[in-house]
Amino acid sequence: MKLILSDRPLDLTVKNPDQIKVIDLSALKIHNCVGCFGCWTKTPGRCVIRDDAVTVYPLIAQSDSVIYVSRIKYGGYDSIMKTMLERAIPVQQAFIHLVDGECHHVQRAVAPKQAVIIGYGASGPKEQALFRRLVERNARNMNFENFQVLFSSQEELESLVRKEAAKWDAS
Amino acid sequence: MGRILILNGSPRAPKSNSKRYAGLFMDCCKADYAEITKTNHRELCARTGEYTDLVLAFPLYADGLPVTLLDFLKTLEAEPPQQKPTVSVLINCGFLEYAQNHTAVEMVALFCRQNGWSFGSVLEIGGGEAILDTPFRFLAAGSIKKFARSVEKKRYARFHTTMPLPKSMFLKASAAYWTEYGKKYNISKEEMQTMQIEQT
Repeated sequence: MKLILSDRPLDLTVKNPDQIKVIDLSALKIHNCVGCFGCWTKTPGRCVIRDDAVTVYPLIAQSDSVIYVSRIKYGGYDSIMKTMLERAIPVQQAFIHLVDGECHHVQRAVAPKQAVIIGYGASGPKEQALFRRLVERNARNMNFENFQVLFSSQEELESLVRKEAAKWDAS
Repeated sequence: MGRILILNGSPRAPKSNSKRYAGLFMDCCKADYAEITKTNHRELCARTGEYTDLVLAFPLYADGLPVTLLDFLKTLEAEPPQQKPTVSVLINCGFLEYAQNHTAVEMVALFCRQNGWSFGSVLEIGGGEAILDTPFRFLAAGSIKKFARSVEKKRYARFHTTMPLPKSMFLKASAAYWTEYGKKYNISKEEMQTMQIEQT
């Protein structure tokens, strides 16, 4: 499965909607993670907050290719995407192991991913550089086998996402 | 000497380790304390103008700032006080490597640069989920003391601490910690280790 996760509506038509899911997070109701550790210690693999996030993190886990589209704020994901990524921690265990010599949570059944992260709205090269470092950190925590970080203006965003999604159709 | 406000940006602020770290800070020097909620951003933004120093205490969350804090900073950007205090960071992560906090610290520094706030001291804590309940508590307390003094004296600096354990030992201790945590809810280690994720 392949997944396009966006923080804004995108005018996209995918050839194979069974294999490629497109989710507009801005259209979903997703509450903030409350840091209760319930998904690790009470109901492992299942978030105790039963809102739209519970339909998204299983798709994140299953997908072997992802495109994440997010506005950039202070060098990180803006609130819509960040809220979802925080709510995706049921895909991990509480337990820690070493990844490239560094401590990280053990992943449950999370497919290794080819990830394309598209950020828009960065104020300049320094903010872009920080966002790139963030995605490098994410790669270890989110099971990215490979990743690309791309930047776009809002005007060119849809055409860039289409171009990246078209590569899936071609492969 | 100025006035210091500590804001707790943890998603579980009332029960958070950030609150315990803030408490240790207040053992060292006088400071006021408040927790960021979804509904008090504007009130807190106005309050920040009454202080010379603002300490943001929060955990690393998915490699960055918790949304609780991110949303507050966005309000602070939109509704800054007339007099902006210097912003310091007291961050902790559950991993042994305090350096995993760097990216989040840079995000706060970027907020400051973009919005004309001065950036002050930093304390990065590794093993932050557990360190206060281990024999290494004194290391965290000692670092917080130095950090607090630096903010109080306006001699801003960077500090860090973690548990001085080999990684293999940290992994074992961490597994024991989480296993005990699960027992409180009658969940075994094996159940916590399930590879299953709920299906849509």
